[in-house]
Amino acid sequence: MSEARLGLWSSMTSKVHSCSGILWPESSFFPLSQWLYDHRLSTKELEEKYGTNILQGLTNMRAAEILARDGPNVLSPPKETPEIIKFLKQMIGGFSSLLWAGAVLCFIAYLIEFSKDKSASLDNLYLGGVLIVVVILTGMFAYYQEAKSTNIIASFTKMIPRNALVIRNGEKYEIPAEHLVLGDIVEIKGGDQIPADIRILTSQGCKVDNSSLTGESEPQFRSCEVTHENPLESKNIGFYSTTCLEGTATGMVINTGDRTVIGRIASLASSVGHEKTPIAIEIEHFVHIVAGVAVSIGIVFFIIAICMKYRVLDAVIFLIGIILANVPEGLVAAVTVSLSLTAKRMAKKNCLVKNLEAVETLGSTSIICSDKTGTLTQNRMTVAHLWFDNEIYQADTSENQKDQIFDQSSATWTSLSKIVMLCNRAEFKSGQESVPIMKKIVMGDASEAALLKFSEVVMGDVIERRKKNRKVVEIPFNSVNKFQLSIHETDDPNDKRFLLVMKGAPERILEKCSTIMINGQEQPLDESSVKAFQDAYMELGGLGERVLGFCHLYLPEDEFPDNYSFDVESMNFPTSDLCFVGLISLIDPPRSTVPDAVIKCRSAGIKVIMVTGDHPITAKAIARSVGIISANSETVEDIAKRLKIPVEKVNKREAKAAVVSGMELKEMSPEQLDELLANHTEIVFARTSPQQKLVIVEGCQRQNAIVAVTGDGVNDSPALKKADIGIAMGCAGSDAAKIAADMVLLDDNFSSIVTGIEEGRLIFDNLKKIIAFTLTKNIAELIPFLIFIIAGVPLPIGTIAILFIDLGTDIIPSIALAYEKAESDIMNRKPRHKKKDRLVNHQLALYSYLQIGILQSVGGFFAYFTVYTVQGFKPDLLLYLRPLWENDSLNDLEDSYGQEWTKYQRQYLEWTGYTAYFVAVMVQQIADVIIRKTRINSVFQQGLFRNKYIWVGIASQIIIAVILSSGFGSIPVLNFTTLRIQYWFVAVPYAIVIWLYDEFRKLLVRHYPGSWWDKTMYY
Amino acid sequence: MVTEKDKRTGGQVWEQWKEFVWNPRTHEFMGRTGSSWAFIILFYLVFYVFLTAMFTLTMWVMLQTVSDHIPTYQDQLATPGLMIRPKTENLEVLVNLSDSSSWNEHVQILDKFLEPYNDSIQAQKNDVCRPGHYYEQPDNGVLNYPKRACQFNRTQLGDCSGLNDPTHYGYSTGQPCIFIKMNRVINFYAGANQTMNVTCAGKRNEDAKNLGDFTMFPANGNIDLMYFPYYGKKFHVNYTQPLVAVKFMNVTRNVEVNVECRINAVNIATNDERDKFAGRVAFKLQIIKT
Repeated sequence: MSEARLGLWSSMTSKVHSCSGILWPESSFFPLSQWLYDHRLSTKELEEKYGTNILQGLTNMRAAEILARDGPNVLSPPKETPEIIKFLKQMIGGFSSLLWAGAVLCFIAYLIEFSKDKSASLDNLYLGGVLIVVVILTGMFAYYQEAKSTNIIASFTKMIPRNALVIRNGEKYEIPAEHLVLGDIVEIKGGDQIPADIRILTSQGCKVDNSSLTGESEPQFRSCEVTHENPLESKNIGFYSTTCLEGTATGMVINTGDRTVIGRIASLASSVGHEKTPIAIEIEHFVHIVAGVAVSIGIVFFIIAICMKYRVLDAVIFLIGIILANVPEGLVAAVTVSLSLTAKRMAKKNCLVKNLEAVETLGSTSIICSDKTGTLTQNRMTVAHLWFDNEIYQADTSENQKDQIFDQSSATWTSLSKIVMLCNRAEFKSGQESVPIMKKIVMGDASEAALLKFSEVVMGDVIERRKKNRKVVEIPFNSVNKFQLSIHETDDPNDKRFLLVMKGAPERILEKCSTIMINGQEQPLDESSVKAFQDAYMELGGLGERVLGFCHLYLPEDEFPDNYSFDVESMNFPTSDLCFVGLISLIDPPRSTVPDAVIKCRSAGIKVIMVTGDHPITAKAIARSVGIISANSETVEDIAKRLKIPVEKVNKREAKAAVVSGMELKEMSPEQLDELLANHTEIVFARTSPQQKLVIVEGCQRQNAIVAVTGDGVNDSPALKKADIGIAMGCAGSDAAKIAADMVLLDDNFSSIVTGIEEGRLIFDNLKKIIAFTLTKNIAELIPFLIFIIAGVPLPIGTIAILFIDLGTDIIPSIALAYEKAESDIMNRKPRHKKKDRLVNHQLALYSYLQIGILQSVGGFFAYFTVYTVQGFKPDLLLYLRPLWENDSLNDLEDSYGQEWTKYQRQYLEWTGYTAYFVAVMVQQIADVIIRKTRINSVFQQGLFRNKYIWVGIASQIIIAVILSSGFGSIPVLNFTTLRIQYWFVAVPYAIVIWLYDEFRKLLVRHYPGSWWDKTMYY
Repeated sequence: MVTEKDKRTGGQVWEQWKEFVWNPRTHEFMGRTGSSWAFIILFYLVFYVFLTAMFTLTMWVMLQTVSDHIPTYQDQLATPGLMIRPKTENLEVLVNLSDSSSWNEHVQILDKFLEPYNDSIQAQKNDVCRPGHYYEQPDNGVLNYPKRACQFNRTQLGDCSGLNDPTHYGYSTGQPCIFIKMNRVINFYAGANQTMNVTCAGKRNEDAKNLGDFTMFPANGNIDLMYFPYYGKKFHVNYTQPLVAVKFMNVTRNVEVNVECRINAVNIATNDERDKFAGRVAFKLQIIKT
């Protein structure tokens, strides 16, 4: 057994890896017959195989033994990366490796110094320590954010403990489902979830919903006979996690836990590779750019330093400084926070994001493959049209059905409404008096529930009316008769006749009628009225609606007196020559918000593909009504019909829309599918199995699209995994789907995806702003080192001060940019191209590095020179002063005025210089954060005060700088000094120039779109 | 295949790189056409010229606000530092009696250092001032320029003056002279109108023992008030810094001796923990005799 399972396992996994583009033949997707043959065994053989007794069940002892052997009956959660690995990944990923390198260099530098001189300064040691702390802290922070968002989902998918009714030792016990073992005899009844894979032993009208497994939305009968070779098709197997809708059954447990069919699919899903998210690729790209710049500048200046006859040790220290200045230490934290803020915002809009990076993936989505039922539609049958008096009336199908505007004055309607009300077995569950009608829970099948609610809305208190028209006898609907019939007393005390009401398949109902009611009058059913009926039936059917016919007959009082005893078996009442009253058609109507959402998608350049298990006609009708197939586009079949030519002769290019059935899809080669996807903008896949979803997803991905897929069933999980962003349904979705998905849609509503896309696009824009903001000051941190090396001036800014900018003053403003509103309607542009629209493009890098960054450095140097000048060192003296300036034994260095300075006095001045430069960068970063609010609009168009968080950020910058320069920063190692008030304002002119210059840039970009300026300066 | 990255061979990478550097189809060099490059270069040229102009302008404005004569602030110079001559690497004065090259350099430094102190030069350039009083030359509304300085004659250094001294400031005999000077600070009234002097001592007990006797010139290591205040090098053109010479008579041979000299003045603190040279100077003295 175990070998066979291993073999199967590898064949299943290899299927998935080799499946790209190749259609999964459904039968070979689950070669279940090879290992699951229990459906073919007789009861005796089963008893033998599992060592059980179908009446007595297992003994408790035996059950305990098996439980110990096989483990509990639960799906093992997908293999998680161990926490420690996740943590370490955060520690070495991205910039962290550069910082580690910096820290190691620090320690090496210290060791070299220490080996030469035991009293070497501890600065390098401290710096190395600080760097490690920075790496660890930012790593821990990112890990914490990641873990927090994972936890939301973990609590969400937590399985509710379920119980199972089991027979053991000949007695019934209620035990937790996870304690079930092979060979247990379980009883299930309507409403239960099947607790394991079971072989049905006895069944009383047992129906199950296998939709999550096979995609069939119709309830399936379960019986104890083998009906098919394939266990998936055979009616005598009940599958774990499917639900029993009605009836009762007993069954023997034949698979538990991960060995169930569902368990196998779930683990199969986890073996489908998940690609890197687009934002992860973008950030990697960005890290490469920055690391490339850092390392190359570092090496170039290392060589320059060596050539300038600096000591190797000094050159190493410069290298550290350069790396440190180049790495935006705070960026990873800012990006993580921004993403999780967006994730929170999306959660409020019913998109629960499991993986933070998926936030942005949603924004770059270019194709959505959406389910129909429940996602595009309301997932409940609703009366859509009525036909009586030879006319089709439209019913209100919106969520509350308030506006039923059709003509209710006709006497025919009075009769029809009576039939609808009486010939109906559905009832409201009790205790829902205060619940709005549409939200009330109904016992009964979907069509009956729809009719019940419809009559409740139109006529009011149905139950009371039913009581008045007491039901005498009824024949429920069955698939042989295809009708439902009941006989009632009338509520008119003077009318002693019985009323026979009937509903069912329209053609069957019509067969039983000889008259038809028009305007309340019975008329013979002549040819013209039959024709009218046919036309109406065809039209409603063509809308993809489920049509029901209604007829009635008042039984003559003389033949059927008060005390007549009706017998269902012998049918001692007429069932022909009835009076046809009308048709009512039902549909699962689209959610009212969906058409708008689809239009939004279209203007956002996102292709919406419907994938459904429903009939093509229904699918097409819904697609049309929500706009997935737009009003003026035609399918090949439509064109053929219009031109009255055979389908083959139609030029396929002319058809914008396509409706493809699962059968057709099965016959298609990957090339044909590619062609289909490329040439049609509006596509509906109908009658597809969940497995085919994966084929469709792969087809879309071959078009270089970023694909979002919705799904709820277990069988959707491979497609959800495969998609760039898998979206599971929060209400209807199975746990397996939720586990496989990147995102969970809490309200199952398609329009929530669109709001999610909007947020995702916004965060992409805002991440650009954040990165541009963060990168700018890296140049202002780098240039001092370069000037220091080349021009030999005292160091303008220290490494610690750099860290305080990166991780102190700049953090909150950069996060605040995540709250920035969109500049224009982001849903009016095409989805970003994976390869062309980069997060960090060269425009962004050049503008930040070579323009604003340089401007900031100049401003910083101005502050630096100012502080030195007023204290006695004029700029000309500073050039190449470094060897003397840093000479420890030179304690009488002469300044521009002839005064002499000790080493410590100079050191202190140097720290003042650091502080001045730090403050200058901070002041200019205030201007920077303001200009980064927009990329193309004027800041004033965007509203200077609309995003309050920007001002919180600016306040934080100032407060941190004040704290550092007012004593707190003068503790050793930090090297900040108190700055005279006026030097806080030295860089203000530069800050203003930054603002003005950027407004000028945006003005030109706005006025000359497509110009050289636009191409070069718009990032 | 979407999932797998296109495997690129080395040749293709090279081709791509070549195409990036020079694309003959589009005439693009490094991804830009010639005119695009011209635009870019021109733009950055203009941009940086503008930046330079702005920087120059702001610097010019800033420099206009500072005086040529006195710095705007002297925040770090509350306490003047002390320093020694000869100034040596790590402030270690090493004298090897059997190797004149070990101290020749010191002697040359001192010769050069003391040259402006020659009595003839002093007499020619500087005033004879009233000892014990600050030599104040206030501007009183009119710029008093250049300001006069007081004489500090080399002869005041006595045995350490190096005049007609065959022992080369005592270096050849193992009785070296070390000169102590106090850092110039503009408008600093050292001593606050009271006498001040420099004293020296071994840093630790054994240093004190090894240090032996020493003589100071001028007597007691006095620094006279008349050399203060200093008016800055623009005003105080011929300012002569007062010196104190210490002649170490019998330092224990072949031992490194840590010496610390400090100034005793009312308004000069000598106990700043962080600035080891505030009002004091520490140096090492070692006389080797084999």
